[in-house]
Amino acid sequence: MELKILWMYHDVMDLYGDKGNIAVLKKRCERRGIAVQIDTCGMGERADMCAYDLIFMGGGADKEQSLLYQDLIKRKEQVQAALESGSFILLICGGYQLFGKYYVDAFGNQIEGLGLFPYYTNAAADNKRCIGNVLIEANLDGERVEVIGFENHGGQSEGVTQPFGKVIIGHGNVFHGTYEGFYNGQVLGTYLHGPLLPKNAKLADHILKKALKKRYGEVTLAPLDDTWENKAFAAMKKRLIHAK
Amino acid sequence: MKARAILLMVKLIRRMLLLMKRGGSLPGTIALKLDPAFLTRFAYPDTVIMVTGTNGKTTTSNLIYETIAAAGKKVIANRKGDNLKAGIATLIAAHASWKMQVKAEVIVMECDELNVPKVMQDVPVNIFCINNFFRDQLDRAGEMETIIRRMSGALAHYKGILVLNGDDPNVVRLQDDAPYADVRFFGIAETSRSSEKSDEASEGKFCPRCARPLTYAYYQYSHIGRFHCEQCGFGDVSYRVYGENCDFTDRSFMVGATRYHAPQNALYAMYNAVALLGVCEAADISFVYAKAVLDHFELKDGRSEAFLIGGKRCMLNLVKNPTGANETMKFIMEDPSKKMIVIILNDNDQDGCDVSWIWDAHFERLCDHSVTRIVCSGKRAYDMALRFHYGDFAGELTVIEDLEAALAEVRQTSDRPYVIATYTALQPARSVLRRMT
Repeated sequence: MELKILWMYHDVMDLYGDKGNIAVLKKRCERRGIAVQIDTCGMGERADMCAYDLIFMGGGADKEQSLLYQDLIKRKEQVQAALESGSFILLICGGYQLFGKYYVDAFGNQIEGLGLFPYYTNAAADNKRCIGNVLIEANLDGERVEVIGFENHGGQSEGVTQPFGKVIIGHGNVFHGTYEGFYNGQVLGTYLHGPLLPKNAKLADHILKKALKKRYGEVTLAPLDDTWENKAFAAMKKRLIHAK
Repeated sequence: MKARAILLMVKLIRRMLLLMKRGGSLPGTIALKLDPAFLTRFAYPDTVIMVTGTNGKTTTSNLIYETIAAAGKKVIANRKGDNLKAGIATLIAAHASWKMQVKAEVIVMECDELNVPKVMQDVPVNIFCINNFFRDQLDRAGEMETIIRRMSGALAHYKGILVLNGDDPNVVRLQDDAPYADVRFFGIAETSRSSEKSDEASEGKFCPRCARPLTYAYYQYSHIGRFHCEQCGFGDVSYRVYGENCDFTDRSFMVGATRYHAPQNALYAMYNAVALLGVCEAADISFVYAKAVLDHFELKDGRSEAFLIGGKRCMLNLVKNPTGANETMKFIMEDPSKKMIVIILNDNDQDGCDVSWIWDAHFERLCDHSVTRIVCSGKRAYDMALRFHYGDFAGELTVIEDLEAALAEVRQTSDRPYVIATYTALQPARSVLRRMT
């Protein structure tokens, strides 16, 4: 088996330890004998998105984000074709925002999104930001899984029809929100970084299964020794519940 | 309340705290509460030097302080790294006369990046040195862009000398925001350790003037290097002080015809030393004094501080962001002997609550056969251990959350011990290690 990952804008959208997400996807495949190919695609570079099982886009600083949206808009048809071909898309922070209708930054500049989903994002007033550790109960195609991460975003995303999870501790899509992120079974957008995947082994494997499905159908992943993953998750969860 | 009454009170509080063997910036905090313009009430000396940047500001300002003292001038400085506005207010109050005169010929202030605008608006800074801007604690300081934007605002009316690192695009761009300043650049020529490519987390890949990608002739570390915008020429600076012929066998470099020694055998330490010379040039202090200080300067306060424990040398290093961590790891791995490493990762406010930076740093560097054991400690010990797990560390990986218990392992090992700590773990680690010597 082989998994092909396309890392979009690896050089500009890597603000919140996103390299960690890629490292986790890669290692969890390699440890199971699944070959991994990771290609990157920077601004202006060509990539056939349909050729990939998993497309990843991380978070970037406001300035960088405004530079690349024009590049992303040009790829709208490609993104749609990739979705039709069955690719899975994982989006963190900025990537998540740019797949919605639009993003209005702190200076009132409106950046058009791909408009693939009905949600939209406005920067919070007075430069306020949602910052802190987050615990959510994610809904992974019917399975309830607790996910831990760290959020740091000024953007307030509204109009999300299919959230990724229910907020237990933290803000989520908006200040003191009820829900976090977006997930429709094929595209997962979230504000959680930290990075997202290392402490959330179940989620990482869920994403791998969904991505492998494109070429291999339903696959069963061999279990891994997740002692460190689980301990790190438990230590943080205990602290968050205790502080609540 | 009159300024003099506040000054009296602040001096008394400080005296009391000192009797209780406590320093800190509480007196300044109180003074600024009572009078937000407290720092404008003083008569300042002609030379007021401010140093900021993400990494190396404590070392650089201590070097400047020592050099000016060696030159025989009366100099004061916030040497303990109390670098917020309150710390600076404490320093000024402690050294002010009843006539509100600061009793010094030169003031050297290390200033936190975010506090620069607030301090500059009240204190007549006339030499301002900026070392570098790296990705730091995102949750506390915000994106680097925010820091630079605030800094630009503070420079709009600045008329003094601006001593800038000409090899950092994020610093060089500030010259455009300081129309009245006398801008002088320092830098270092290509060395045997420079590289054509960089895989280290970096910001500032694009020209701040025209948004084109910057091209690099070489990288020194992170995004520091010889960069240039092919479209608009951004980055073509002329250096006032330029380090050349870096020699990593004796941590030295040349400026003009003289060889100087950096406090540590690493490029970032050489940049701190060249920044010192840049400030000396601006303040008209002879380089002779700088050379004398550099030749004998000993790093303290957990910046490569050495402790002799059970006949073995144990090095303590502060890390706080990916760039600093990468440089520290390069330094540790230069030692070919078998090593054990204790790493203490906290996520208190001063450390940054967001520890995602550990995934941007190349901790794989430590995942080498010469490292036999890694002990992870601190509030985020398990996150650290998980990082090494994903770095495929093949040695013994242990978590001991309690700092004292973790450091006790230094005594047990037969290998060369190294300790790495984040900001709030540094002083506790120092006192434990000192007791062990």
